[in-house]
Amino acid sequence: MPKKYNVEVVPTPPRYIPIGKFEIERGEDCINCGRCAIVCIYEVHKRQDEDLRCMAEPVAYRCKGCFSCVQECPQATLTIREGTDYSRLGDSYWTPEIISTNWYQAETGKIPVSGAGYRGPFSGEGFDSMWTDMSEIVRPTRDGIHGREYISTVVEIGRKLPAIKFDSQGEILSHIPPTINVPLPIIFDTLPFEAAKHFDPTFLTFDENVYGAMAKAASDLGTFMIVDAGDWFKSEGHRGQSSHIIPHISHLTSHSFDADWIKACKMVELEYEEDVMTVVNEAKNLNPGTIISVSVPFGDNVEQIVEELTYAGIEVIHLYADLNGKAFNQTGKKSVTKNASIKDMTLEVHRHLVDLKIRDDVTLIVSGGIAMAEHVAKAIICGADLIAIDLPLLFALECRYCKDCQEDLACPVELKDVDPEWGAQRIINLIGAWRNQLLEILGAMGLREVRRLRGEVGRAIFFEDIEKDTFDTVFAMDESYDANG
Amino acid sequence: MQTVKKAPSRFPNEISEIEVQRDLSKCINCGTCAKLCPFGVHERKTGYNRVSKPLSYRCIGTSCEDKPFYCVNHCPRGALSLGVSSEYRTIGDYRWTRDLIIGTWKQAETGIPLKGQRYEIGNSGGGFDRISFNFPDDEGRGERGDENIGQNAFLPSDDTGISTEIDLNKREGTKISIRVPFYGGGMSFGSISLSVMLAKAKAARAWGTFTCTGEGGYPEALKEYDDNVITQVATGLFGVMEDTIQRVKIVEFKYAQGAKPGLGGHLLGDKVTAEVARMREAISGSSLFSPFPFHSVYSVEDHKKHLDWIKELNPNAIVSVKVSTPTDVDMVAVGSYYAGANIIHLDGSYGGTGAAPDIAKKNIAMPIEYAIPKVHEFLKREGLRDTMTIIASGGIRTAHDALKAIALGADGVVIGTAELVALGCVRCGNCESGRGCPRGIATTDPELSEAVNVEWGAQRLINLYAAWRSEIVDVLKRFGMRSIKELVGRYDCLIENHEITQENDEETKL
Repeated sequence: MPKKYNVEVVPTPPRYIPIGKFEIERGEDCINCGRCAIVCIYEVHKRQDEDLRCMAEPVAYRCKGCFSCVQECPQATLTIREGTDYSRLGDSYWTPEIISTNWYQAETGKIPVSGAGYRGPFSGEGFDSMWTDMSEIVRPTRDGIHGREYISTVVEIGRKLPAIKFDSQGEILSHIPPTINVPLPIIFDTLPFEAAKHFDPTFLTFDENVYGAMAKAASDLGTFMIVDAGDWFKSEGHRGQSSHIIPHISHLTSHSFDADWIKACKMVELEYEEDVMTVVNEAKNLNPGTIISVSVPFGDNVEQIVEELTYAGIEVIHLYADLNGKAFNQTGKKSVTKNASIKDMTLEVHRHLVDLKIRDDVTLIVSGGIAMAEHVAKAIICGADLIAIDLPLLFALECRYCKDCQEDLACPVELKDVDPEWGAQRIINLIGAWRNQLLEILGAMGLREVRRLRGEVGRAIFFEDIEKDTFDTVFAMDESYDANG
Repeated sequence: MQTVKKAPSRFPNEISEIEVQRDLSKCINCGTCAKLCPFGVHERKTGYNRVSKPLSYRCIGTSCEDKPFYCVNHCPRGALSLGVSSEYRTIGDYRWTRDLIIGTWKQAETGIPLKGQRYEIGNSGGGFDRISFNFPDDEGRGERGDENIGQNAFLPSDDTGISTEIDLNKREGTKISIRVPFYGGGMSFGSISLSVMLAKAKAARAWGTFTCTGEGGYPEALKEYDDNVITQVATGLFGVMEDTIQRVKIVEFKYAQGAKPGLGGHLLGDKVTAEVARMREAISGSSLFSPFPFHSVYSVEDHKKHLDWIKELNPNAIVSVKVSTPTDVDMVAVGSYYAGANIIHLDGSYGGTGAAPDIAKKNIAMPIEYAIPKVHEFLKREGLRDTMTIIASGGIRTAHDALKAIALGADGVVIGTAELVALGCVRCGNCESGRGCPRGIATTDPELSEAVNVEWGAQRLINLYAAWRSEIVDVLKRFGMRSIKELVGRYDCLIENHEITQENDEETKL
C-alpha cells in the first residue's frame, strides 16, 4: 500500500491575543463573591493574582457566549455584548466569522466543529445559493478511524488527452503534453495587497518573511505558489528553491525572460493580453516541458477568451474574480450584471467548454473570494479543477484585514516580522483543516476522488432550482409568486 | 397526565429584552415603584431600606405606558428608565433569533403560547421564515402583539372537539397514535445528561407521546418509560441489544442525521466514561466511531433484511427509518416502504446536533422545507402516501414551524433543539468542547449536569408542549379544521411571503 498523502498539523499558537467575539464588563457593584469563576468553565473569570479578595478583569477573548456568569451573578452586575473589535473585523464579504474561523484553523489545524444546528441565513448569494448532496447508501467512507485516507485529493494540471494513439509497432504516436500532479486542489495565489512598498523601507523584509512562509508551506504540502516575477522571486530563484513556485508575469509587452528560471519552473503564469500567444510560444521554445498558464479575469467575454485560448493550445487557464468573488467591470465596456458571482461564472465557462467538447484540453484554476473550505468543494462542483487562495493565507499569519497597511499605517500584527517557520506551519494547519473538510464533503457523497467532483452539478442542490421545483407546486395557487423574483 | 405549572428559569437573572435601569443618584428609595408594579419588577424587601435591583425580565416594557402603574412615569424623581438589555442584543442567531429563544423560555415557564410574528418565525430569510398561513378570515383579531400583556391575558385555547392526535402506523401491525403531532428527537446518553433524558421521557409520558434514546444505549432509569421511548439502531450499533429492541413500541433505524449527513459520529476517548462505555458495550477511554453508512446495507433488500430482523425480535414494534435529505430522498422514502418501514423520518439539513463539522451543518443536503413536499408528492404519485407516515425534523423551532411542516405534507414532526432551549439552552454551540455544555444540558460532567433537575425539566417541557398544542389548536380553529390530520399537505393554507423580514430593531419600540 503506497503511503497516503497526509497534512501534518501541529498546534501553533498566535503571537497576539486573538480578537474574541464577546466583551464582558464587570459592574462597579461587584461584591467579589466569585460565583462567576465557579460557573464559567472557560476560565474567563478569575481572582486577581496580587489580591485574591478581588476579581480580575474578565479574560474576554476566552468567552464562548454561554451567558452563565451573567445569569448567575447575584448582583446582576456582569454584562456581555458582541465586541466592537470583533464586529469591525473584515467587511461584509470577509466577515468576522470567516476571519476568526480561519485563525482557529491556522492555530489548531482542526476543522471547525460545534454543537447545535446551523445558525446562519437560509441561503445567500454566490456559493451560499447552493448545497452539496450526499447519499444514504454508499461505499464506506468512514470505517473506524480508516476510510478517509483512501479518498484522493490529487489533481492534474495540464492538458489531458482523451486517448493515446499507437502505431503498428506499439510505439506512442500522440504527443503527450506535460502535466503536474498536485496532491490537493489548492494552490496559493498572488497576495491581493502588500505593505505599502514605496513608503516602507523595510518592504523587502515583509516579502522575505511572508513569502518565505508561503514558499515553505507550499513546498511542504507539495503544492504551488503563484508569485509576481519580481524581486523576491528573482532572489528566491537564485537560491534554487523554485520547484514549488509559479512566476506570474503581468506586463508581457515589457517582459524580459530569464531563460534560467523558465527552465527551472515547472509552470509559468502569464497575464492575458491580446498577443499573449507570441509570449507563450517564446516560453515554450525555451522549455517545452514548462506548463504555461494564462490568467484571465472573470468579466465580459470570458467564455470566448477561454475558448480561443484553449483552441490555441493553452493548457491551463487561471480565471480570477475580484477579492469578493465578483466579476470585474472592464472599463469602457458595458458592465457585467448577470452571472456576476464566481460560482455562476465558473459554471458558465465549464459548461461552455463541455459543450465544445474541449473541457479536458484545459485545466481551470479558479480564484477570488475563496474564503472557506466549502468554497473549494463548491467551486470544483461548478467546474474548477483547482482553486487558488489568497487572503486566507494572510489570515493564517494573523492578518486582521484592517487594511491599515494600504494607508501606510503600521500593521497591528506586524506581518513583516513573522517567523517563516511559524508562518509555514500556520498555513499548513489551515490547508490541512480545509482539506479535511473537503474529505468530509467527498465522504458524504461516497466519492473517493476529488477529480470526480469536477463539474458534478448533479452532486449539488442549487437554490434557484430547488426553490422552483418544490415551491412552484406548493404555491401554484399564488400567482404573484415568482421564483426568479 | 399533563398539568401546566409555572416553572420559572433556574437562573437568578433571566435574560430579557428590556432592562429596567434605576439611576441610583436620583432614587430616594421611596418604594413607589415597588407598590405600583403588578409584575414584581420592583421590590423592597422587608427590613431593607433600599429598593432591590429591578428584576427586568418580569417587565412588560412600554405596553403599560398608559396604565396607572407605569413605573417610569410615576417615579417622583424620574430615576427609572427602560432600555434594551445588552444580553438581548447579543443572544440568538438567524435561525433561532433572540425572540425565539426567549419566547421558548417563556412558554416553558408558563405553558402559554406567545403571539406575534417575532415568536413565530426566525430571521433566516428562507424556508419556514418566508412562509405564512393563508387564514381564510382574520376577523375579530386585533392588532397582533398586544395579546401577551401580563402573560396571563391569553389563556390556553378551549380545545373542545379539536384533535391534535396523529397515527404513527398506517400499515398492518400495532396501531400507535400520539396525542400531539410531535415527539422528542434522538439524543444519546453522553450527548445529553441522564436528567435531561429523564425529563424528556417524563414529559413524553405526560403528553402521550414519545422520546428517543439516540444512539448510545438505553439507560436503566428509562425503563419505567418504555411505552414512551423510541430506541435507535444507528450505524455504530452502540448499545443495541435484543432486550432494548424488545422493550419498546417504536424502533428507529437511523441512516443519517440532518446536521451531518453522510459523516457518522466520533465520540472522543475522554468522553467515554465507564458508564458510557458500559452502555455502549465498549472500553472506557477509547474513541468510538459511528461509521457511515451502515456497512451492511447497500440496497433496499439489505435494508429490508435489517427491518425484518427488528420485526422478528419484536413483532409488535413499528419501525421508523430516519434519513437525511439528499436530492433522491423521495426514492429513499419509497425504498423504505418496500423494506417494510412504518415511518419515514426526514431530518433536514439545518437540524440540531451535539457536535458536527460546521461545513456539514451549513452545506450538506437540503433543508427540510424542500424535502417534505418532495417526499409527500412522490409517495402520493406512487400510491403509497396513505400507508406511510411522514415525520419531519431538522429546524422545527416553533408550533408554527410544526404546522407549516404538516401543511407541506408531513404527518407530524420531531423536535430537539426547542426542547433543549426550554431547559435553558442559549445555543452557544459549545456542547462538545471541554467539559461539555456550560449550562448543564448536553453534558455528562457530574458537576455540570446537576444544574438540571428532572422534575423541573419535565415541567418545562410539559409547559412547552402545552403552549405548542394550544397554538396548534388555535391555528386549526382559524382554518375551521377539527383535526390536525386535515391539515396534511394542504398547500393552500400556506402563502409564500417574500415581504417578511424580521424586525429586530428594538429601538423603535422603546
